[in-house]
Amino acid sequence: MPGITYYDLRHVTGQITHIDIDNGIFESAGTTFFNKAVLRVISKTGWGILQIDNYQPCTGRKFDELLQNACSLAAITQEQVCLGEVSHGVLAVPAMKEDPRSVSIEEKSAILSEIEKGAIHPSVVNRRANYIERVEQVEFLDSSGNEYTYEMCRSGFNVLAVASRNDNTQMGYEREHSIHGFNLRHHQTLGKKAADIAVALLDAKLAHGGKLKAILDPELAGVFAHEAVGHASEGDLIQEGNSVLKDKTGQKIGNDRLSIVDDPGIPEFGFDPVDAEGVAVRRTEIIKNGVVNAFLHNRESLAAVGNGVAGHARGMAGEPPLVRMSNTFIEAGDATDHEIFEECKDGIFLKGSRGGQVDPGRGVFQFNAEYGYLVKNGECTGMVRDVSLSGDILTTLHNIALCGKNRKMSPGYCGKGGQSVPVSDGAPTILLCDAVVGGSGMD
Amino acid sequence: MRWWAAVEWIDQIIQKGLKSVDEVEIFYVEGRSVSADLKQKKINLASASEDCGLGIRTIHKGRIGSSSTNDPSHWSECLDAAIASGHLATSLPWEGLPGAKDISRTPLTFDPSMKVEPASALELLEQMLAGSEEHVAEVTAGSAGLSTATVTLANSRGVHYTDSHTGVSLSIEAIHGQSTGSEFDHSSFINKVNPFHVGERASFFAHESAGGNEIPTGNYEILLSPLAYAELLSSVFIPALNGRNVHAGRSRFVKSLQEPVADPLISMYDDPLLTGASGSVSWDAEGMPTHRIDFIKDGVLEAFAYDLKTAYRYGKTSTASAVRGGYGGSPGIGHHNFVVDGKRSSIADERTVYVHSVVGAHTANPMSGEFSVELSNAFWMEGGVFEEPIRSAMLSGNVFSLHNEIIGLSHESRSIGSLILPSVRINKQRIIGK
Repeated sequence: MPGITYYDLRHVTGQITHIDIDNGIFESAGTTFFNKAVLRVISKTGWGILQIDNYQPCTGRKFDELLQNACSLAAITQEQVCLGEVSHGVLAVPAMKEDPRSVSIEEKSAILSEIEKGAIHPSVVNRRANYIERVEQVEFLDSSGNEYTYEMCRSGFNVLAVASRNDNTQMGYEREHSIHGFNLRHHQTLGKKAADIAVALLDAKLAHGGKLKAILDPELAGVFAHEAVGHASEGDLIQEGNSVLKDKTGQKIGNDRLSIVDDPGIPEFGFDPVDAEGVAVRRTEIIKNGVVNAFLHNRESLAAVGNGVAGHARGMAGEPPLVRMSNTFIEAGDATDHEIFEECKDGIFLKGSRGGQVDPGRGVFQFNAEYGYLVKNGECTGMVRDVSLSGDILTTLHNIALCGKNRKMSPGYCGKGGQSVPVSDGAPTILLCDAVVGGSGMD
Repeated sequence: MRWWAAVEWIDQIIQKGLKSVDEVEIFYVEGRSVSADLKQKKINLASASEDCGLGIRTIHKGRIGSSSTNDPSHWSECLDAAIASGHLATSLPWEGLPGAKDISRTPLTFDPSMKVEPASALELLEQMLAGSEEHVAEVTAGSAGLSTATVTLANSRGVHYTDSHTGVSLSIEAIHGQSTGSEFDHSSFINKVNPFHVGERASFFAHESAGGNEIPTGNYEILLSPLAYAELLSSVFIPALNGRNVHAGRSRFVKSLQEPVADPLISMYDDPLLTGASGSVSWDAEGMPTHRIDFIKDGVLEAFAYDLKTAYRYGKTSTASAVRGGYGGSPGIGHHNFVVDGKRSSIADERTVYVHSVVGAHTANPMSGEFSVELSNAFWMEGGVFEEPIRSAMLSGNVFSLHNEIIGLSHESRSIGSLILPSVRINKQRIIGK
């Protein structure tokens, strides 16, 4: 079509099955259906984008009409968008051990109920368990003739226990989410674990704020990598000038042993067989031996910024793709847990996370631990709760003194631009010196 | 499916559903939107969407089922899925969906002058960019969006309400060196947003926050802007007023009814019929006529929010607080226009730490209320003047106990989403310097 230099269409159909149990009551359970598409064109200058509910695949004059509609939107754009040269290809979606669709919702409900009942405890006042299963069929085509289709299923559950004593209310929260198929079986102990944590937190103390040595467990250290480095390395933010990592390629911002990677191709919760622009996914070493090495890109930011790898465009069904993380992790080091605690000597050991946030332009991040333990003389002592850490991207990575031997990934969701996508974060256990810990505990 | 066609189908769905279940409820939304995004100072993309969605809820012998689809021509499968989902639900006390009431049909959040066109988005972006020129800072990103939607709620008891909404939203981000600033605005009415001011504030905060000094760890009187206050209030305090959370034991306020929970200066209420507010609505997501709910009056907790399901379950009355996040799923308990009010005063005269926004409010403990967040665009303020920026620090505290330390509310309030809040001055809050 005249004036159009590029177009692509990403059509996603699927269904979501959920179960919600609240204190033994089946609040809701069932299935919903969706059908969404996003058509993007580059016409003369920038993007014209149509988001289409209930898309019916079409060709010929009808498809040309859609292109024309998107083209007319692009008429108000001013920035000349160029797309970087990329390679194409689709990875095989890992086979599922047990397809959740082969399990009846009645059986799923029964197993989830067992997990929820595991949280029963005299001090637990509320138990809640949710199951979610999302199946997506994805079709992609672009004006260069690239086409792909694949199907992905993500499923998992959360269990929450709320313990209360006098005016003190605390919670324990466990979750498992997977791309490897039905994962409710053999997790009955997680309800009890959530309850045990909630009850133990009733006796935990508030952390004192200040600078100290902090040992982060693999889940929390993964969130640290995600917030402290991952977002600031997203190519669209670099292109906009809204990241402290802009123009820092080749600069050393961490110690020699520190490497941080994003890899959509590994079979973790953030897996993508191909990105949302039809680009082959690749491992990107964001930080290599402490040096800023490569940024995460889509085709546009690759052309505008360079210094990185495309294949990181991701989008919710029907939404324009953005540059996103997928599976982000700190590479394992060589320290044993014993060495990490010995080196820490006096500090704090932090576990789990309720998430975090970053201002990438300012280079400041915050993230939060679910609970922790004071470390005295290299040993865990009293339990503490409600601990947050903050830091400065360009200086904090120098403070990672030790990395453990075993990396573990944790699933989650990441929000950006109003879109939430599945990700995983991971790391070995790490020792962070001079950590800025926020806590309202007083002597 | 177009609106005129949907009306006919809605009756078909209800009639077919009644052959299998006691009651049927239909929620149908159809809308369109346009937006344009800046990359630095140039428009990088323009997008448009046409959305529709059908949500069906069925009730049979106290078992509630639901399903949804954005392909309403497949309503029959959606209805079957809703009925099947009801089979799995636990039977609960249920006294029926509401019947039709004589409710005002005048749309409260519809602006007939709103043009949902790319040209309107272009004009808004240009005005924001003009405002951003008032201070030395680089615009990094921005967005302007306009939308219109028609919502229909119908049920087998004779309710058949329709309402129309419009919306405009603006946002812009700026940077000066390594100092960032951002601002946004939104309304149902095009003339109630001020794009020039939005651009001006973003570049102001980016520019004025540069070169700040550290602050020593200690306890300080602080002044939270409506934005910073909203970030802390919405993730912890407001969910604790939700009747379901209260009865399920997930609220700090389980035993606090008729007890003081905030300084006597503070009142909190939901006013769904507030003129010009973007959450205003005459009927809630279950068709109940809306009215004002006084949650906290002069610091005393007086009420919780209920939808029909929770009210029937616990022997309470619905407060018409049912809301939907979209067409999917079932309605839940929320609010329409949540207002914090009380005696107003000049709260920025004496020296204080002003906090424009915070980083990480969503990580607060929703049960205990404990939080530790990073300050963003914080300043020493005196005589209402931003004196010197504070470079970096954490604020730690408890969202619940913080409300006992509020010592002043500003004269002006601001809409942040569905919240309408003043700035608040608070005693003795812990700041951790670096």
